[in-house]
Amino acid sequence: MGTIRFREVGKTYPGKEPVVALDRVNLEIGEGEFVALLGPSGCGKSTLLNLVAGFEDMTSGTLSFNGGAVSSPGPERAVVFQEAALLPWLTVAQNIAFGPSVQRKARAEYEPKIRELLRLVGLERFADALPSQLSGGMRQRVGIARALVMDPKALLMDEPFGALDAQTRMSMHQLLLDVWQSLGTTVLFVTHDIDEAILLADRICIMSARPGRITHEIAVELRRPRSVDQLTDPAFIRHKAEIMAEMRAAQKEHA
Amino acid sequence: MNDAPARTMAAAPRPAPAKVMGRSAGFAAGRSRAALRAVLLPIVIIAAWQLAGRNGSLAGGVLPTPDRVWDAWVMWAFGPKGMGLNPYSGTWLDNVLFSAGRVAQGFLLAMVAGIPAGIMIGWSRAVSGAVDPTIQLLRPIPITAWLPFSIAVFGIQDMGAVFLIALGGFYPIVVNATHGARDVDRNWIRAARMMGASRFDVLRRVVLPAALPAIFTGLRIGLGIAWTAVIVSEMVAVKSGLGYVLWDAYYVGRMDVVIADMLSIGAMGLLSDRLIVTVEHWVLRWRRLQTATR
Repeated sequence: MGTIRFREVGKTYPGKEPVVALDRVNLEIGEGEFVALLGPSGCGKSTLLNLVAGFEDMTSGTLSFNGGAVSSPGPERAVVFQEAALLPWLTVAQNIAFGPSVQRKARAEYEPKIRELLRLVGLERFADALPSQLSGGMRQRVGIARALVMDPKALLMDEPFGALDAQTRMSMHQLLLDVWQSLGTTVLFVTHDIDEAILLADRICIMSARPGRITHEIAVELRRPRSVDQLTDPAFIRHKAEIMAEMRAAQKEHA
Repeated sequence: MNDAPARTMAAAPRPAPAKVMGRSAGFAAGRSRAALRAVLLPIVIIAAWQLAGRNGSLAGGVLPTPDRVWDAWVMWAFGPKGMGLNPYSGTWLDNVLFSAGRVAQGFLLAMVAGIPAGIMIGWSRAVSGAVDPTIQLLRPIPITAWLPFSIAVFGIQDMGAVFLIALGGFYPIVVNATHGARDVDRNWIRAARMMGASRFDVLRRVVLPAALPAIFTGLRIGLGIAWTAVIVSEMVAVKSGLGYVLWDAYYVGRMDVVIADMLSIGAMGLLSDRLIVTVEHWVLRWRRLQTATR
């Protein structure tokens, strides 16, 4: 449940000059594992996530989710988007209820769950507010609640905190750590922020651009349960130095 | 942040367009000053028109002065019906209702056809390829050019006018609905699909609400064309309504009635536009809050 497996996956965008976004990517993500895809913009990390989400088709290779092929988007692979992508005409509660409602679930069944999630993300007073009345961090909390309400087997997060200020981002990190540590869902987390990747993930896959491929994998040795206090942990600093050296080397190779 | 929703909600129901005024402590004063500024030009025009005339007419007796137009309108609106000497006496409301009824019927048809067609053209490349070229080919034909066709097919009847109104209103509605459905944020659709929405759910619960602002723009333009169409077809092809009276009064040299009629058409156009704007403000509440907080 919740395993993701890439085998020799390639993705080429057709055109006058075809762009190779992904080149023979191999990656296995186990049940309940938190994996970060780290790399510069344009390295194909979002493309990789979109393939698992079912938003795009790959050109070659195989991709399986829980042993089955991925053919279309679905609630078992919940996506948290970069700018939340909430529907602006729906209230916070209606945005969270969208999934259960289109899945024709009984209102009595999901309504208590929505209240519980609103409390979990600290927005119980904003159930009837519209997305435009919320700050960026609050919007992304709704985005997370909207994903969690569907009890997904995997959470796919595409630079979800990239547009937030440092302070808000730190509180979102703590929220995500707390939520994940209590649920144990598989997470694929795309980011270009080294600190974020180390703090959150069990394993970091470093990607390089043109063609996009995974160049390096690092198992993060920070104890769980984690908190944002570990940003100054010696193990954290060690990992950061290692990753920075790795990325600098990759950059030199390309320049 | 906490009190922000309450504040914007309270400000929301007022349907005044945002461009007219700034919001400040002197809000009421600013509003009455704006109203005064708005009526100043009409008053000046009417006064100048009145003063330019002699013995109730100007331009060599062709144009009646405002007081005569007013008298003609009062007679037209409130005079006793069936007086042989003044065939218009007391028929204003009937004619307004004839025209408004035709506009309502034709415009309803235009909406019922134009909104779903536009959504489908904007949403599906296949539908767009099959239908859009035909619409673009027919669209440049002015509705006035359809008049002989309409009379030949429907005769001197209501249906001819309703057809022209529906056709004239259809184009701006379908074109704007198409744009609205085409410009939907891709991530909204992806998010809906990810949450288990079927293609129909996406159409109804994402594409349609997202396209509504553009659809309302189309409705307002379409309604203006609908009023043009009803007047033109009543002048030529139907024997009742404001357009018929307009042409008939001109024919018998009653320019006072002609001008009263023109002003009545303007008032009806304005009234129906305000009606749509009111509905729009209610349906798109979420959008006003959005622009207010940005």
